[in-house]
Amino acid sequence: MSQTASLDHLLDTRGVRQEFGAFVVATAFDRGGVPAFALGDGTLRLLRDGSWQSVAAHDGAVLALAADARAEGFVSGGDDGRFVRTARDGTTTEIAGFGMKWVEHVASYADAKSPVLAGAVGKQVHLFDAAGATLKTLTHGSSVSGLVFDARGKRIATSHYNGASLWFVASKSDNPRVLEWKGSHIAIALSPDGDSVVTAMQENALHGWRLSDGQHMRMSGYPAKTQSLSFTRSGKWLATSGAEAIVLWPFTGGGPMGKAPTELAGADGVLCTQVACHPQHEAVAAGFSDGMVVLADIPSGRILPVAAPGRGPISALAWSADGGRLAFGSESGFAAVVDFSKA
Amino acid sequence: MPDASAPTEALVPVTVLTGYLGAGKTTLLNRILTEQHGRKYAVVINEFGELGVDNDLVVDSDEEVFEMNNGCICCTVRGDLIRIVGGLMKRRGKFDGIIIETTGLANPAPVAQTFFVDETVRSRTRLDAIVTVVDAKHLPQRLADSHEAADQIAFADVIVLNKTDLVTPEELAAVEQRIRDINPFATIHHAVRGDVPVTALLEQGAFDLDRVLAHTPDFLADDAHEHNEDVASMSFEVERPIDPERFNAWIGALLAAEGQNLLRTKGILAYPGEDRRFAFQAVHMIADGDFVGPWREGEPRRSRIVFIGRNLNRPQLRRGFESCQVKA
Repeated sequence: MSQTASLDHLLDTRGVRQEFGAFVVATAFDRGGVPAFALGDGTLRLLRDGSWQSVAAHDGAVLALAADARAEGFVSGGDDGRFVRTARDGTTTEIAGFGMKWVEHVASYADAKSPVLAGAVGKQVHLFDAAGATLKTLTHGSSVSGLVFDARGKRIATSHYNGASLWFVASKSDNPRVLEWKGSHIAIALSPDGDSVVTAMQENALHGWRLSDGQHMRMSGYPAKTQSLSFTRSGKWLATSGAEAIVLWPFTGGGPMGKAPTELAGADGVLCTQVACHPQHEAVAAGFSDGMVVLADIPSGRILPVAAPGRGPISALAWSADGGRLAFGSESGFAAVVDFSKA
Repeated sequence: MPDASAPTEALVPVTVLTGYLGAGKTTLLNRILTEQHGRKYAVVINEFGELGVDNDLVVDSDEEVFEMNNGCICCTVRGDLIRIVGGLMKRRGKFDGIIIETTGLANPAPVAQTFFVDETVRSRTRLDAIVTVVDAKHLPQRLADSHEAADQIAFADVIVLNKTDLVTPEELAAVEQRIRDINPFATIHHAVRGDVPVTALLEQGAFDLDRVLAHTPDFLADDAHEHNEDVASMSFEVERPIDPERFNAWIGALLAAEGQNLLRTKGILAYPGEDRRFAFQAVHMIADGDFVGPWREGEPRRSRIVFIGRNLNRPQLRRGFESCQVKA
């Protein structure tokens, strides 16, 4: 029976794979399309022209990775308290250092006029310009557990204890719009139209706010915490991890209130750990706790296997900006990039 | 020794170090880290903490106590620890255990509850023991002027009774008795400048169910004297086997009603027709129980339960526990 072989068909025929031997914390493509993996041993591994390059970016574990706001390269945060920029040639530059405090989340927004880098350190989010100069510091009442720029880079949304905050990046006065909901919020997503803010909560549920009318949205029923959540390009669906399937909430026709979520790629006893919506199509890539990676077409419900189980729980997943390639990595150190575009 | 067959072997042990300001917590922590034990520890210190020695992995944390959204007001967790444990797991294999130092005024309950409530933390770590450092000379005063000093003793599995050189033998005996009145099952080590061997502090397995009541308090002597402590302990023992359904109904209702006052509860139960002991423990309302090893041959199969808490009603607790027995 060649079950496993067929589940690995895409990986075998279109993939580049590597065993790193350290926890794959995150993966991202830079603005020019080069993929990198951030590891628990402090290195970034860049895949350039088919060969791997290791960069010792942090002394400890890398905790977060994002594309640089510049045309090439990456920014990362680590448990060494450093916010670091890594160029494609492997040169690293410290943007800022925070001593014993961890840099737990990073994000960037690329814009011809005013590119921005963001790093979350405890209760503060520090914003920098592309040159690495500090623009401002956004202070919260409790530690920041997630941050995301809106589609136009105008606002940054953060999650924390008792809710979420929306800050205007360019605002002179630093008063956020505070979205309150009691409890610990541990991750955040923003819909493409910028109208819906959704957080994952400690209690295996999601909470959302519709900004235009102040409507609260509650989405519950998860057996585990949602660590990963992602809106589709159209904003019609919110894909989430934390269940024994990819759970998709409809954000159309008044939803998700009063509507049941769609579940795809269900598997008994195996949790979905990572989701990443395709940057163009209504499709979502998902990774599972047994190491399986699939691509799900949402309208048809068709599931395309990308990688077979057995290489460790999937801990990182990202699409290239053009949607042609998918990068993923696991807790046990497996990493791969699969190219869907080549003929 | 931990059971070799238990899956807990892969879990990273976590030691919580509590103690009032000035009790000698930092000195003890530095001792643990400098002693040549060949093990590496990740250390989480609080925002006011300072570490006098070099350690590869020190995390500076704000103690963020979060309420859970489950309608239970005493169910609080340390949100910062959930994040930190998640982060530390990314460099798994680089250290053998985690030591968490709390601030002097910290209530240990949220730290302990984090290791029971959060699924991710639970799946990767195990709470090994709560170690409380107390100052032999100043403890009576601390007990008089703060809730937290008693809480820290009540929650402790191991108590380092420090600065014994500053008190007379009589004072030492009196302070030890006060500790015993609050917490009969903690192991007490006398110390001067925290000179306790690391082996007496780490790898204690104090929260393993099969170690529940391993340090059996003296059940018979317990009722002999009256305590005047704010926090006290009460132990009960019954002869006939316990009916599991009645016990679950009783303990469930008791923890729901009195969970805020009940700091720690531990029990070993004999179920009818069951050769294994049933072990039970709770931190406030959060309970955990399972069958552990068999009763030893010739060992009397008596069920025992110990409560540590405030405003304990002895007759009510006794009647409640007795009513869980199967009909004579």
